[in-house]
Amino acid sequence: MVAVPDMDSLVNPQQRQFNPYTENGGTILAIAGADFTVIAGDTRQSEGYSIQTRYAPKVFRLTDKAVLAVNGFAADGNMFVKKVKQRLEWYRHAHAKDMPLRAIARLIQTMLYARRFFPFYVYNILGGIEDDGTGAVYSFDPVGSYERETCRAAGAAQSLVQPFLDNQIYFKNQLAAPGMSHPTHLPLPDVLSIVIDSFTSATERHIEVGDGLEMYVVLAKGRGLGGMEAIGGVQELSERTEGERLFVVRRELKKD
Amino acid sequence: MNTFIDRFSTTSAASQVRKLKEQEEDEFSDAAWGSEAGFGNLAKGIPSFSVPSVHDPTAFLRLHTDDHADPNCRIKIQHGTTTLAFRFQGGVIVAVDSRATAGSYIASGTVKKVIEINPYLLGTMAGGAADCQYWETYLGIQCRLHELRNRERISVAAASKYLSNLVYSYKGMGLSMGTMICGWDKTGPAVYYVDSDGTRLKGDLFSVGSGSTFAYGVLDQGYHWDLTDEEAQELGRRSIYAAGHRDAFSGNTCNLYHVKEDGWNFIGNFDISKMHYEGPGNVPGAPGTGYGYDVRVLGRNSSNPPPPEAAPAVAAHA
Amino acid sequence: MDVSFALTGKGYVLVAADTTAARSIVKMKGDEDKIKSLGPHLLMAYSGEPGDTVNFAEYIERNIRLYQIRNLYPLRPPSAASWIRRSLADSLRSRSPYSVNLLLGGYDTSTYTPHLYWIDYLGTMATVPFAAHGYGSYFALSLLDRYHDPEAPLEEGLATLKRCIDEVSKRLVVAPGKYKVKVVDKDGIREVEL
Repeated sequence: MVAVPDMDSLVNPQQRQFNPYTENGGTILAIAGADFTVIAGDTRQSEGYSIQTRYAPKVFRLTDKAVLAVNGFAADGNMFVKKVKQRLEWYRHAHAKDMPLRAIARLIQTMLYARRFFPFYVYNILGGIEDDGTGAVYSFDPVGSYERETCRAAGAAQSLVQPFLDNQIYFKNQLAAPGMSHPTHLPLPDVLSIVIDSFTSATERHIEVGDGLEMYVVLAKGRGLGGMEAIGGVQELSERTEGERLFVVRRELKKD
Repeated sequence: MNTFIDRFSTTSAASQVRKLKEQEEDEFSDAAWGSEAGFGNLAKGIPSFSVPSVHDPTAFLRLHTDDHADPNCRIKIQHGTTTLAFRFQGGVIVAVDSRATAGSYIASGTVKKVIEINPYLLGTMAGGAADCQYWETYLGIQCRLHELRNRERISVAAASKYLSNLVYSYKGMGLSMGTMICGWDKTGPAVYYVDSDGTRLKGDLFSVGSGSTFAYGVLDQGYHWDLTDEEAQELGRRSIYAAGHRDAFSGNTCNLYHVKEDGWNFIGNFDISKMHYEGPGNVPGAPGTGYGYDVRVLGRNSSNPPPPEAAPAVAAHA
Repeated sequence: MDVSFALTGKGYVLVAADTTAARSIVKMKGDEDKIKSLGPHLLMAYSGEPGDTVNFAEYIERNIRLYQIRNLYPLRPPSAASWIRRSLADSLRSRSPYSVNLLLGGYDTSTYTPHLYWIDYLGTMATVPFAAHGYGSYFALSLLDRYHDPEAPLEEGLATLKRCIDEVSKRLVVAPGKYKVKVVDKDGIREVEL
């Protein structure tokens, strides 16, 4: 017998398990201070047990006062950051100013929700300085629900890092010394050491975290450098020194 | 045969999806350039969505997002929740918990599940967090446009019907929301239940979410129309506590709102563990002690030994 | 679809179970007694897989009775509960396990204390002041957290039990129509009308 191809399968288009998603590991984290915000992420990119690259940034400058960290599926994340940057550039051309942080947050919601039926597999954390000069962190789910918070970890080591942050930032399950109370915001050097500790610890216990660490620091307008001078390996990214100032601090993480 | 009909009919969900797809694909209106932020594309009517180029986009979405069928699927949609709202003599009480879970991980304990649509309308959030947040914000836009066009505030009935019709038009595409639209209009206090199946119910008392049965247990028993404001607020708070205590997917804190003739008021945020041991604090209607069963019955027990004079006889018997 | 409740009060345990025996979508019987007396001061409400329930309950009933005949005194509630739980746990590990959920209420005449045990078909046991099995538990447990009083006199205990039954009738789609309620206290076991 000669095998006759099934006519039906030739006439109709065939589709077998369209899977446009993968998980590329890594972890991101943002903490808001009274007049600054730190947004950080490791630089390892992996798929399964293989490391694809040791330097793939997950944290991006949007404006001098807004930084976006993306985690999940790297291709979707990079595409999404590209589209957000494009919309912010259009806004700049139309209004001759940068979009306020809370507006960027809402923009990201609608951009994510526009893909409600074909989601970007990306967890976003937006950090920066609000119009009133306060530090702010907005965290998103892949289809756009969002909330302003003081700190948030997302990605592979979220379940390792977030409980540590709850304890160190919100002082959860800690009693204040008699007659004392917990501070609502920590100073910048304390926050930076908490961020570094979070990532070194996550690197110790999670195989998808490591290689390098990038911490973006956004300082409110007129705040001064208070706390930044003592830190080594700082690179300034802001174009003007009179407005909000943006720095990136890089650190090595273990590479095994 | 069904797939054949789907592909060529002009009314099926699949063809609607096809139409939506043709409209969008990186085509931006002028509004996207301007200051209408993300909602620029919404102000002029129904927004557009991109969809995957597959035979059955709904099955595609379900494959990648439904955490009931496959707990390992990548995109987790928030599920566990307790929300409640009820109408009474003094207005409407709205109370919700604040926990978001992804599987057994507590993704957040500070979620705002009451959406402030405008100063007279509240919406609650159960099911997909993004679906509720996005469409109830969108509803807020439409309610404002109604006000500007008609020089009159929209009724709760009309607002809830708008939302109901809207989500019904997406039926079968995977939206997930169970919400109560609450407010005060010309007819007085009003509560409507609206969900993504297209159900819309007018009523006095609703609870939605995985912890709703536990909330109902306390709510039904304490509810009557003539509750005072303080009693009503306490009942809402106590019911959310009950759900937070018995349902693992609910908890952390309770957000409490009271809607009166002049719009809604935020009553407060109450820690559920704190309510268990110490009660809600110094607020109207509070009992002054913890809600916890073991706290409430401390030192009480069910033994009924005979009065002391009968005791020697027992000792002799033993 | 069985629903059962139990709660303790000052010197008594109340046990309630619905009276429907169903098979598929058919209600076969509307006055089935699903609470067995296992001794002068011991009650057991059983629910679960049809067939298993009555067979297991009768097996337990006979063996508890045998103990009493051999020793001239009955097992006290904690010992009875331990033995029943173990029987269920052994059954679970056999070729044909019983799928039966139990509420065991007893009054210990030597310590004047009522005891209540919640036991499920896996052999999980908990000592509790109030308990429920079936869909009713989703409504009743929060209610009992709110209203149960370990020192309530019988009338109050019955009123609380009635709240549970009313709540389930109000909210549960497949709510049973009738319940049988029994009480065990220092005077023994008797059936009560709500």
